[in-house]
Amino acid sequence: MIKGYAGRILEVDLSTRTHKFVPLDEDTARLYIGGKGYGTRLLYDRTEAGVDALGPDNPLIFATGPLNGSVAPQSNRFAVVTKSPLTGGIGNAACGGSFAYGMKRAGLDVLVVTGRADRPVRIEVDGDRDEVQILDAMDLWGKGTYETQTLLPKRYEHAVIGPAGENEVLYAGIVSNERIAGRSGVGAVMGSKKLKAISVIGKRKLEMDDPEAFREYTKTVRKLFEEHPVMGESLKRFGTGAIVNTTNGRNILPTRNFKHGHHPDAMKLSGEYMEDHELVGVKTSCLHCPVTCGRDVEIEGKGRVKGPEYETLALMGSNLEITDLKNVNEWNYLADDLGMDTISLGATLGFAMELDEKGMLDAKLAFGDPAGVSEMIQDIGHRRGLGADLADGVKRVSEKYGGKDFAIHVKGMEMSAYDPRGSYAQGVEYATTNRGGCHVQGASMYMESTGPLTINPMNLKLKADIPVVQQNLACAINSMVLCIFTTYGMIPKQVHEMNPNSMTYKIITTLFENSGPLMRKAMGMKGKPMMWFEKWLTFITGQTFSSGHLQEIGERIFNLERMFNMREGMTAADDTLPPRILNEPTFYGMASGHPLGQLLPKYYKNRGWDAGGVPTKKTLDRLGLSA
Amino acid sequence: MAVTIELTYEMTKAFGEQRFDVEVVPTVADAVKVAEQRLGEKGIQFDELARVAAVAVNGVLVNHRKGMKTKLRDGDTVTFVKAAAGG
Ligand code: SF4
Repeated sequence: MIKGYAGRILEVDLSTRTHKFVPLDEDTARLYIGGKGYGTRLLYDRTEAGVDALGPDNPLIFATGPLNGSVAPQSNRFAVVTKSPLTGGIGNAACGGSFAYGMKRAGLDVLVVTGRADRPVRIEVDGDRDEVQILDAMDLWGKGTYETQTLLPKRYEHAVIGPAGENEVLYAGIVSNERIAGRSGVGAVMGSKKLKAISVIGKRKLEMDDPEAFREYTKTVRKLFEEHPVMGESLKRFGTGAIVNTTNGRNILPTRNFKHGHHPDAMKLSGEYMEDHELVGVKTSCLHCPVTCGRDVEIEGKGRVKGPEYETLALMGSNLEITDLKNVNEWNYLADDLGMDTISLGATLGFAMELDEKGMLDAKLAFGDPAGVSEMIQDIGHRRGLGADLADGVKRVSEKYGGKDFAIHVKGMEMSAYDPRGSYAQGVEYATTNRGGCHVQGASMYMESTGPLTINPMNLKLKADIPVVQQNLACAINSMVLCIFTTYGMIPKQVHEMNPNSMTYKIITTLFENSGPLMRKAMGMKGKPMMWFEKWLTFITGQTFSSGHLQEIGERIFNLERMFNMREGMTAADDTLPPRILNEPTFYGMASGHPLGQLLPKYYKNRGWDAGGVPTKKTLDRLGLSA
Repeated sequence: MAVTIELTYEMTKAFGEQRFDVEVVPTVADAVKVAEQRLGEKGIQFDELARVAAVAVNGVLVNHRKGMKTKLRDGDTVTFVKAAAGG
């Protein structure tokens, strides 16, 4: 077995209450690394077109990669892959916490759950004894994610769902510690299997090809992170909320159901403000991560709890025209405890508010007014009253009540917190990302408008190039599995220190903006490992990973996801953005919305797809994906 | 006839206000000068705070427009934006 892998997959069938260990396939590991990549391959091979996302035949796949189980910063993440009940296409989500570490220690690269139990159950795995138990979980059913985790056996690492997952809220997530695999409705799939929790334990050590080099190099990376303006300062000090002031200043902060990109009081939602007013002084992190981007806040009646991160601050704050952090803190806690994705939840609440305002739905919710929101969140989590409709997400609500023009979703997944009208590459990424309106499957906005080296976010240059490179890279990162924030460290300290109004900055950004195919070519070059994650992979597995290798693997995964979606009936028509984003300008002087129509053909070409968005035979042959 | 100037978090903390309106000035450079004056009156070291902030007009960095020479019109917002990370 290649080093870095435990070498086995655990398959559990809840219908028959049986399990088996099977060896990890080395060839698949070479081609897809692990995590999301390996999970996608398994899902594609094991499902038929049209499989019911909430039925017993949809596998729920938990997958780690070779970096998991090590002490590399940002490496305690696992991927969940399944068919999404929210979009009907590929579903996946990544989660921090400590479960990934637990899985590897238990000797599991992948855990595949199929079938459906006839009553609530939980799975307990003792990897050292090869013991797998399917236990009754009736006493846990109905409990929140926080309480559930306290009731599970100590010393194990857990992945659990809350009431939202049990009630198959289409954007329910899976929680590990205080972190959540939020997107795609993976928690609803777990709930549909009547599976409340998975607990893993073990003491297996991760075998590495060159442990000494890994250890020494990790020390260097920790130091690099400490001194990095993002990893060691911005994220560490303010959490992801640090970005609120940036997106607000750049007019891309979702406001009033994406009507605007700027809220005059958004500063009160920022990480800086949180530090001054709400933070109780404790920063939290996923296991072994020195970045500590989590924030604790105090809420009435609950004491110290996990605070909201950027997406929540935006979607449940400015997007609802709420700028009182106390409200957002409370709603964030409620959503976490119920086990729901706050992006989809916030977007759905914002949509309901606009429907209400327009007299299309009596939701008793209004922009700028916190009244009724807590109750509605509870109703959604328990599928009560109107909450049962809102539990199905924006797309289905728009099909029932109207308002498709301002229904903010892509492929059925609610769009995250960067308005693409001020970030064109991010718009292309949203439109084409296989799981739908999500930013962490590429994070193009960082290269374009929110990072230290921004290009003009509102012309067409590079906007069909950045998403290709970024999506490929993100596919690889999510397969190692590393935290996507690691990519923020790729821009060196010196660039952050440049005066953004200087001529030097202008020259560099102009050169970057015009780099197009050259950038893609440079990223695609196979050579020596340069970035820390390339080196870690190389030290651990003994294989060489450079930027070019990762681009190729990422491209393979991205195309396989595309093939899954096509098999489920998705076409180029699904590569689109909400009508509001395409047609309504937000910027002064903007004639229309996002120019997607001008960018998509170039994006398809860059991807090696035909004009209809279908991967060509040549592309599939090159990636080893031909049937 | 006014241009709105919006400050970064750090500037706001020092100044006590996040935004203020000024009469329309011809260019971004003039608006920056006004901001410098306003903050200077309160003894705030403007240079130090402005060095890490990009200047944007209606959300688009002036570096992607005509730099400090970018012309201003009634209703424009000049924002000092700090590059951040995460999300
Ligand atoms: S940067 Fe934040 S989200 Fe990423 S691994 Fe570290 S603590 Fe977790």
